[in-house]
Amino acid sequence: MGEETEVTLTIDGVEVKARRGASLLEVAKQLGIEIPTLCYHSALTPFGACRLCSVEIMDTRGRKRIVTSCNYPAEEGLVVNTKSESVINVRRKILELLLARCPKAIRIKNLASMYGIKETNLWVEDESEDCILCGLCTRVCSEIIGVSAINFANRGVKRVITTPYNEFSEDCIGCGACATICPTGSRRVRTYTYATLRPLTGPKRDEHIGVYSEIFSAKSPIAGQDGGVVTYLLISGLKKGLFNKVVVVQRIEGYLSDAVIASNVEDIMKASGTKYVRAKIVPKLKELINGGERKIAVVGTPCQARAARRIQQVMQQDHPDLDITIIGLFCYEAFDYGKLKSEVKRLLGVDLDSVEKTQIRRGVFTAIVKGREYSCRVRELENAIEKGCVYCNDFPAYYADVSVGSVGSEDGFSTVVVRTEKGKKLLEEAELTMREARIEEVVRLSALKKERAKKNFAPILKGIYEVRLAGRESGEGTGGYA
Amino acid sequence: MERGLADMPNGEIREKIMVDEAKIDKIIDKYVGQRGVLIQLLLDMQREFNWIPREAIKRINEKLKIPESEVYRVASFYTALSLEPRGKYLVRVCKGTACYVRGAERIVTAAERAIGVKAGETTSDFKFTLQTVNCLGCCALGPVVEINGKYYGLLTPKALNEIISHLRGE
Repeated sequence: MGEETEVTLTIDGVEVKARRGASLLEVAKQLGIEIPTLCYHSALTPFGACRLCSVEIMDTRGRKRIVTSCNYPAEEGLVVNTKSESVINVRRKILELLLARCPKAIRIKNLASMYGIKETNLWVEDESEDCILCGLCTRVCSEIIGVSAINFANRGVKRVITTPYNEFSEDCIGCGACATICPTGSRRVRTYTYATLRPLTGPKRDEHIGVYSEIFSAKSPIAGQDGGVVTYLLISGLKKGLFNKVVVVQRIEGYLSDAVIASNVEDIMKASGTKYVRAKIVPKLKELINGGERKIAVVGTPCQARAARRIQQVMQQDHPDLDITIIGLFCYEAFDYGKLKSEVKRLLGVDLDSVEKTQIRRGVFTAIVKGREYSCRVRELENAIEKGCVYCNDFPAYYADVSVGSVGSEDGFSTVVVRTEKGKKLLEEAELTMREARIEEVVRLSALKKERAKKNFAPILKGIYEVRLAGRESGEGTGGYA
Repeated sequence: MERGLADMPNGEIREKIMVDEAKIDKIIDKYVGQRGVLIQLLLDMQREFNWIPREAIKRINEKLKIPESEVYRVASFYTALSLEPRGKYLVRVCKGTACYVRGAERIVTAAERAIGVKAGETTSDFKFTLQTVNCLGCCALGPVVEINGKYYGLLTPKALNEIISHLRGE
């Protein structure tokens, strides 16, 4: 026993061979038997939360019971009934309960009417509730995206999906997988994550560049990476009084970087130079806002720009004078500090903590140690990439006021994308040496990143599509189980 | 005049309390490299600090690579763990059915008056935390109050007042 990998079982009178351990739901699907689900997704670990996929099983000793088919493994000699009277009754009761929790959720209403339930007689606690606590969003966030920004909290009737302490997430990268996968389109996951944002408006709009008014290549009067444009803009913005404090990422120990608050030119100079690792800027931003600061600038990757934009959009309701200038950096992917350190050691033979400067240009990663350059292809550093980055489709920081990056410019220059009025103000009277940018290079990388995200998102979307298709077919075909 | 801790919402109290970070690290270090230790680790934290400080969740994430949201999920799930600072004496008034019909409501009111905070809150000197619970499992003794593991049965508001003032005097 236990050795055979194949078992024989019966589902709705059909004898079928299946892989040992495959879920009853998967086996039934292969037979074309449709079982309703809400918390199941083919790309994720089954959870058994919604109970809708309940079926009746009879084991070899003739004992009957109801189990959830999404996480019950196929066993030898099992007899499964997916449409018996007791199964339908169980599903009806579940749907009535779900309907009482989320009376407005379309998917639940549709499923309920398929089972002949038009309305619930049960007590509806909150008409606007739209979360059934199925955990799909938390599973996609941890299992696929690898971020775990959201999770369950509390228990019993107080159980909710949220971020730690109900605050803006420090881990969310704004990929939107949680909102995409949600079976009820719940708003809850959007509260403290960056899954959705109000879009920017501007004169020009390009699929790959985003909203913008100007795009050019520039070099500043100060020495810095790729023309020192970001450092220059921060210093001049500070002098012009556009903001009083800046949240920047600075190397803390070796290459290990963290977000810090800069309030003068020296602080900003200390933070110059590109770090290809992600740091948590949200706590610093919150610290400033809670401390009463209202004119703040943030420099960060596209995901951090999203976070800053979301925080601005939400917190402006309480603080109308809150003014955040967002400088976004072009980003194809960020690295995990620990993994990058070991990969750099392995590939280049140098200690990441001792490098003076790192740079990525035309697919080549270069680390400079004591004036000497050590290089490798960026592609070779694949293992050090933060897991979530391959699901992100934002290369040029769509939600920034100004985006800056080396792509599209020659050495010593940076490409600058001005997106908003605030961005324009920041660039007014800037003493930059300007040239035309090679826009097509920015477009090419942006498209590549989008393509990669789309490819990686495919299994998530496929799972959703399967469910929608199954729901529609049965709805039209049999007229439900009413 | 500076506001007392009692005037602050719980979130603000959390921010005000300084926690010894070296102690946090020392507790976490015992568990580095092991799996399935989160609950034990959090119980150790609870024992040391009498609550789970925010800094602890952050350090667990950094040292054990457990996502903050996961630590928060566990810490917010169990009543044995508290995300707010607790007082020296945890006063738990039973509001289960048996205690309820025997006048638990009056005991709660008396406790709130004697201790000076509402149920679920902690006094500014961190001497008392008042909680209501659903059943302590000794219904025959109702109404029951449990204080730091000791059970006081067949209570009257007057008897409760005496217990509280005795503990306050200690």
